[in-house]
Amino acid sequence: MQASRARLFKEYKEVQREKTADPDIQLVCDDSNIFKWTALIKGPSETPFEGGIFQLAFSVPEHYPLQPPQVRFLTKIFHPNVHFKTGEICLDILKTAWSPAWTLQSVCRAIIALMAHPEPDSPLNCDSGNLLRSGDVKGYQSMARMYTRLAAMPKKG
Amino acid sequence: MVSDSISAAPIPSAANTKNPGKKKRTNRSAKLKQYKIDARREQWLSQGAAKNKGCKDGVEDDIHLPSSPMGKRGKQELEKVETRRRGEEDVIHQDSDSESPSNSPISPNCSVLCGGTDSGTNFTGSSSGGSSSSSSSSGGCFSGNVTEEEEDNNDEEVEEDDGCLDDWEAVADALAADDKHKTSSHDEPVVETDLSRELTHGSSLGYPNSNPGSAGMVPWGSGNGRAWRVDDALRPQTLPNLSKQYSMPNPDRRFGGGGPWSRLSVPSPCPICCEDLDLTDTSFLPCNCGFRLCLFCHKRILEQDARCPGCRKQYECEPVETEASVHGGSLTLRLARSVSMIERS
Repeated sequence: MQASRARLFKEYKEVQREKTADPDIQLVCDDSNIFKWTALIKGPSETPFEGGIFQLAFSVPEHYPLQPPQVRFLTKIFHPNVHFKTGEICLDILKTAWSPAWTLQSVCRAIIALMAHPEPDSPLNCDSGNLLRSGDVKGYQSMARMYTRLAAMPKKG
Repeated sequence: MVSDSISAAPIPSAANTKNPGKKKRTNRSAKLKQYKIDARREQWLSQGAAKNKGCKDGVEDDIHLPSSPMGKRGKQELEKVETRRRGEEDVIHQDSDSESPSNSPISPNCSVLCGGTDSGTNFTGSSSGGSSSSSSSSGGCFSGNVTEEEEDNNDEEVEEDDGCLDDWEAVADALAADDKHKTSSHDEPVVETDLSRELTHGSSLGYPNSNPGSAGMVPWGSGNGRAWRVDDALRPQTLPNLSKQYSMPNPDRRFGGGGPWSRLSVPSPCPICCEDLDLTDTSFLPCNCGFRLCLFCHKRILEQDARCPGCRKQYECEPVETEASVHGGSLTLRLARSVSMIERS
């Protein structure tokens, strides 16, 4: 508990110090609870998520960093490895391949990479996975772009 | 008064230091000391002059160049009494100081001097000898100096001594410093002003002996006398340890780099829990990939999936640990093995 708190506090300071270091990631700690974080990540360019801003919710366990943080999308996203309803993310580093050397910031980077390189073989969103596995890249991209526009882009007017 | 004594401390000028120092000392000294002083003064007045003169001459010729006028001393009885009292108290202070450093090369001198003089001075000699024998062999120039001054009644030396003591008291008052600092601030003026004395040579011999020597004396020796030993031969040893060049994970260089205290000054945090790595942790390299972490985190990881956070390989093969040939390393080696055995079974 204390170790996780110290570690999170250090990460917080790191984030404050390098706020401008990674313009695609904005990591914010909850005001009252250092175990709750939210992140805003920009959809990577040359993907159907380009132009969208996706919100992630981090729930840091007590034994962090020995246990991985729980991350889910708050913003709807059409991606084979993200549960469409819950926002749950299927990512190995958030499960078995987690290493205590990772940080919340590096998790955000990993999620951005996952958005650019979906893994249709272990889908949480079967529709999306099936489109990709059947080779319908265009269909996948148009669906993903539509949801990006619907959910992840700032609404005008 | 304190400021006076501080300013006068390194300068061997008589008038400034004498009176305040004396007052202070008489205030501070106990009645037991006073008793000793009286007895000694009597003895000095009755027989000490002639004998001491002879003894002095012999001693000074034996030891080193005579740096102070002799005749002046022999004739000023009152001064002698004062200086004797002074010296006595100094010795008492010195004795009361548990960490009073005395040098083994000096104690023979003390014994010689004591033998040359009467029983009254013998008392002091024995007391200082006791201190020298009780404490270990480093930087003992001061106590030795005091005894010699007593025998010689060298005014200049006594004044320097006063300066030292004032300095010492001032430091003690101002800082409430620990004994290390007391003795160190104590030693320094003597060494600097008394360069021609044999005692200085003794001390300069004593420092290098004490510093790389026994491990127990290491903190004392490193903080000894001159905290700013820029010119000393020891400086290169201690300085690189302070610099950041050892903070990078290179265990071999760290071990070769200096004494066991060198690793104290490189607090790099554990990447897992962000606590500063201590001595044992910094000498602990559990994985070939060079990923460092503290023992607590390592143990907790072993209890879970036992994979290195840096490379995600299993921690089971731990060949790098055996390279850590320091006590801490072997200790952690054993620790890690036992833990991993538990993990395996």
